[in-house]
Amino acid sequence: MIVVIWLAPARAQAPAAAATHPSILVSRQLAERAHLAVGDVVTLGSDPQGSRRAEFRIAGIYEPTPDPMRFTASRIEARLHLPDLIDLVADRADPASREAASAINVRLTDAGDAAAFSFDAMARAPGVIVRPASRSRDDDPFAVLDRFHIAISAVTMIGGTAFLLALMVIRAEERRETVGILRLVGISRRTLLASVAVEGVLIAALGAVFGIGIAVASEGLVNRIFQARYDTALVFVRVTPSIALRSIVIAAPLGIIAGIAASWTLLRRDILSIIRR
Amino acid sequence: MTALNLAWRTVRRYRAQTLLAITGVAVIGALLFDMLLLSRGLLVSFADLLDRAGYDIRIVSGGGMTLRLPIPRSAEIARAVAALPEVDRVVSLRMMTAALHVNGQPRAANVTLVGVSDVGAGLWTIARGADLPDRANDASCPLVVGPQLAETFGLSPGSDVLVNAEESGVASALPPVTCRVVGIGQFAFAVPGNDDVATTLAAFHRSSGEAMSGDADLILVASRDTAGPARAAAAIQRLRPGASVYSNEDVVEQFNRSGFAYFRQISIVLSALTMVFAFLLVATLLTVSVNQRLGEIAALRAIGIGRRRIAAMLMWESALLVGVGGLLALPLGEALALGLDHILRQMPGLPEQLHFFVFERRALVIHLGLLIATAFAAAAYPMWLTARMPIAATLRREVVD
Repeated sequence: MIVVIWLAPARAQAPAAAATHPSILVSRQLAERAHLAVGDVVTLGSDPQGSRRAEFRIAGIYEPTPDPMRFTASRIEARLHLPDLIDLVADRADPASREAASAINVRLTDAGDAAAFSFDAMARAPGVIVRPASRSRDDDPFAVLDRFHIAISAVTMIGGTAFLLALMVIRAEERRETVGILRLVGISRRTLLASVAVEGVLIAALGAVFGIGIAVASEGLVNRIFQARYDTALVFVRVTPSIALRSIVIAAPLGIIAGIAASWTLLRRDILSIIRR
Repeated sequence: MTALNLAWRTVRRYRAQTLLAITGVAVIGALLFDMLLLSRGLLVSFADLLDRAGYDIRIVSGGGMTLRLPIPRSAEIARAVAALPEVDRVVSLRMMTAALHVNGQPRAANVTLVGVSDVGAGLWTIARGADLPDRANDASCPLVVGPQLAETFGLSPGSDVLVNAEESGVASALPPVTCRVVGIGQFAFAVPGNDDVATTLAAFHRSSGEAMSGDADLILVASRDTAGPARAAAAIQRLRPGASVYSNEDVVEQFNRSGFAYFRQISIVLSALTMVFAFLLVATLLTVSVNQRLGEIAALRAIGIGRRRIAAMLMWESALLVGVGGLLALPLGEALALGLDHILRQMPGLPEQLHFFVFERRALVIHLGLLIATAFAAAAYPMWLTARMPIAATLRREVVD
């Protein structure tokens, strides 16, 4: 990643003259902010005074790879060929500075060898830090956020269960006479409980499906709002089949428990008490 | 009988649903309360952490607060700033990664070595032993180490260690400097898994091989009470035009714009969702409950109880459910905040003393305000339902049914 420190206003040049300049890429955000277009010639400097500067031709405008770790940062970036950047920033009094790079990215044939490779490389080049690009669960901030979201989901689920239970209690009380009559004509407690359990499953599953529908419908809106807010292509919300399935799998048993628990308070009484005799 | 009495009798009569509704409101209210704490918690905690050190202005290099680069001619700047009438005291800090070798230990500890120009800088609290000496002689290298490092390497005041300060990723051929641990201290900005070690600026420069007047990364300034940070920062800017000077408020504001944005957004989204959830919960329960009691309410109207009193009764029912649930939500929310804070503080690279959920009176006031609004909104539809209910027709339907 290269951070451009100083940028002079773009100026138009004859195509032949512009073609002689080294080419660079600029990020979409930088292009929009500085009103740059492909083919423009810009001056980049390594200090605010512009004492060391060079002219470049914009060969393209790119969308920076979305980075969840930097989504709040303005991606005001340009990409240069490494020799061009070294010409611009290297210390002229220190020939070794032309050999210095901030980081070297390595793609291994087998990604599973990352730990062994980093250990081996650090042993061969003392002072160099070699780290696998992928994070372990322990040092991944998104794993922490994942746990946080799961905890919030669990709390919401507890609140939702109380809500469902209260509704089922009201519904059971509403059908007190009907239940009494059904018991009088010989329908067993078990059958009535089973019917209530089925009703609970249906309500919970339909609620979950409705919730998933709302999530899917609002997914695009939420993403658009956050993408516009942070000027990024990062996707913030994505309803995946596994998340949808998880919601239904959790909701269904909760529906059964709420239905049975609410009805049991009525069904455990004797028939005469149910029909208020 | 007053509307409150009528409401009280109703909630007592339907105990099971009342208890469940209160439980639901308490749980959702706890989440709402926590989201309000989260909306500013990190900022409040961060500001508190900055203020606790006792310095209200920071001078950094042109790289800003995020790119911590050495400040050219920092010793000269520190002296000039200290002479300003608006400034009470100044401390220069230099930080670098270092290898700390302890006798008898097979491997060195990788630490962040902090050199400070002024002892008792307020950046750590001594737990054992002594602070850095006031006037350390040039040859000595006193150290204050964190408790975790002390425990891992069996260090205590008086332990001798060897220190090699070197830029990260740069192999140094300098011989290590012998230092002596003088105290074990809790560092304000200590990050789990990253041990801080403090020493004097002179000892720091000796271990890093830099010249004595080497550049500091950060200059902390405490303004005089009579001047305040804004006036002091302006005076420093006049003294050194172009210098990067930030008051604590500026740092917090910068943090608010960048690092904290996610949590502010998520807290707003979740607060709105929990509010809607609480509204739906109470409104649905009240509506279903009113539908169940239509005959009873029609009878009350028939014996002369007016529309207003019935509406007030429903309002009180809603207030009782939301009020009791909302009050229970406070201790529940505090307990839940401890758990959620524990989860979020496992995020790598965060100072140990930084918290995401911090109690503020403002959060409590907003919480109560939102719950009152929820109680009113949730009671609105059932109130409208009973107000337009035809008494005779409802009673007849109840009897026929």
